[in-house]
Amino acid sequence: MPASKIALDFLDFCEKQTSAQVIEDRFVSTLQALGYEYVACASHVDPLRPRPGGVSVLNYPVPWVQHYSEADFARIDPVFLAARIMSSPFNWVDCLAKMRLSREQKRVLDEGALYGLSKGLTIPLRSPDVIPASCSLIAGSDGVDPLAMAHVLMIVIYGHGAMHRRLNPDALADPVVLPPRERECLTLAGCGKSDWVIGEVLGVNWRTAHNAIERAKKRYGVSSRVQAVVRAVFDGQIMVDDLTG
Amino acid sequence: MIYIVSEENRRRFHHLLTEMHRQRKQVFIDKLKWRLEESAGLEIDSYDSHDAIYLIEAGTLTSDVSVSARLLPTVRPHLLSQQFADLCEEGLPAGPGVWEATRFCPAPDTPAGAPRRQMLGRMIAGIMETALLFGIEQVTYVADAALAPMALKVGWDVRALGAPRGEGRNRIQAFVASIDGAGLKRVREAFAITAPLTRFVPADLARAA
Repeated sequence: MPASKIALDFLDFCEKQTSAQVIEDRFVSTLQALGYEYVACASHVDPLRPRPGGVSVLNYPVPWVQHYSEADFARIDPVFLAARIMSSPFNWVDCLAKMRLSREQKRVLDEGALYGLSKGLTIPLRSPDVIPASCSLIAGSDGVDPLAMAHVLMIVIYGHGAMHRRLNPDALADPVVLPPRERECLTLAGCGKSDWVIGEVLGVNWRTAHNAIERAKKRYGVSSRVQAVVRAVFDGQIMVDDLTG
Repeated sequence: MIYIVSEENRRRFHHLLTEMHRQRKQVFIDKLKWRLEESAGLEIDSYDSHDAIYLIEAGTLTSDVSVSARLLPTVRPHLLSQQFADLCEEGLPAGPGVWEATRFCPAPDTPAGAPRRQMLGRMIAGIMETALLFGIEQVTYVADAALAPMALKVGWDVRALGAPRGEGRNRIQAFVASIDGAGLKRVREAFAITAPLTRFVPADLARAA
């Protein structure tokens, strides 16, 4: 079957499913039909301790996953590191060769290769929760048709989104939106300014600034202003460069 | 040997095709700075399709690629008709008996000079063998200042389709080569090739145990 048909069938399938588990199984079998043997589509955390609501699809060899978890490789995995930096799909051979890796990081790659996990392709994914995510694919013995690449990307990006939506059905219902005053005050708080300084900078009473930040904290359901700043940065409501001024 | 990879048998060549696209990225994008698209370290353009025939020189189906090239049917849009039509002052040869050869790509570590010339000779012999096999009479190509003089001297019957364009290393010119047995004989003699170089591996060959 042509790769385009395999991909479109998968998208169609996802639309009709309500269970993330069913999509997970089809996700793996679809990528296997295109020639990939191993698939790891997950947040960058210990695979045996997935986060609630996080996508975690993994068919790597079980002994490797256990070893990886025990050795806490998720914290130093060079593939995760590259996926956080890279904005587009990369293959391990070219990309990791350009990185300066520690002995421990090389060990992760060398030991993974003993389980057949080498020459992978990784697609960085944007995950709406705060943990970075990616999908790594390792071709089987017959390889994968290079002309299928565009369809593979479509399957992975769409499939990850579909699984995430099923796992977090309420994600879109109640997004936090900070009004301009709260965003301004929280940004200045993120720069380390006190209520009094924020009031001076914005030309308002310090109590007004204080109350705006308290309201922002309440919106996020957090108890400290550091937590509120971090959440707003991950939301994209405060830009990291706004905090450097 | 040079494998002939077509729509019929390409599923046996995923490794070599991937390696070819990787080398094309290293040669055309990294080294020659052509403005082409890449994805995950592979250079793939809109003319790469199941309709193209690829010639890939390698020892086995999983070994390193030493040189590759792409042959496109000219009954559909192809590089010369879409991108370089202005190079063909006296008309563009196209039709069922004409192929266009593009993306001649020696492996990035190929030394300049004699090894590259030998590679070009072998690939041209491979193109001619494949063309004769498929009943193709003419092969068009665009060559830059480095490739054009070499490709003119290998022994096949070539004529320019128009004046060269551009300056220095960026000078490019379009050519058409006539394909016949006598020409192939001359190319083989010039490069001391004593046996056919191309191999067609059927798609359904029983797998070795």
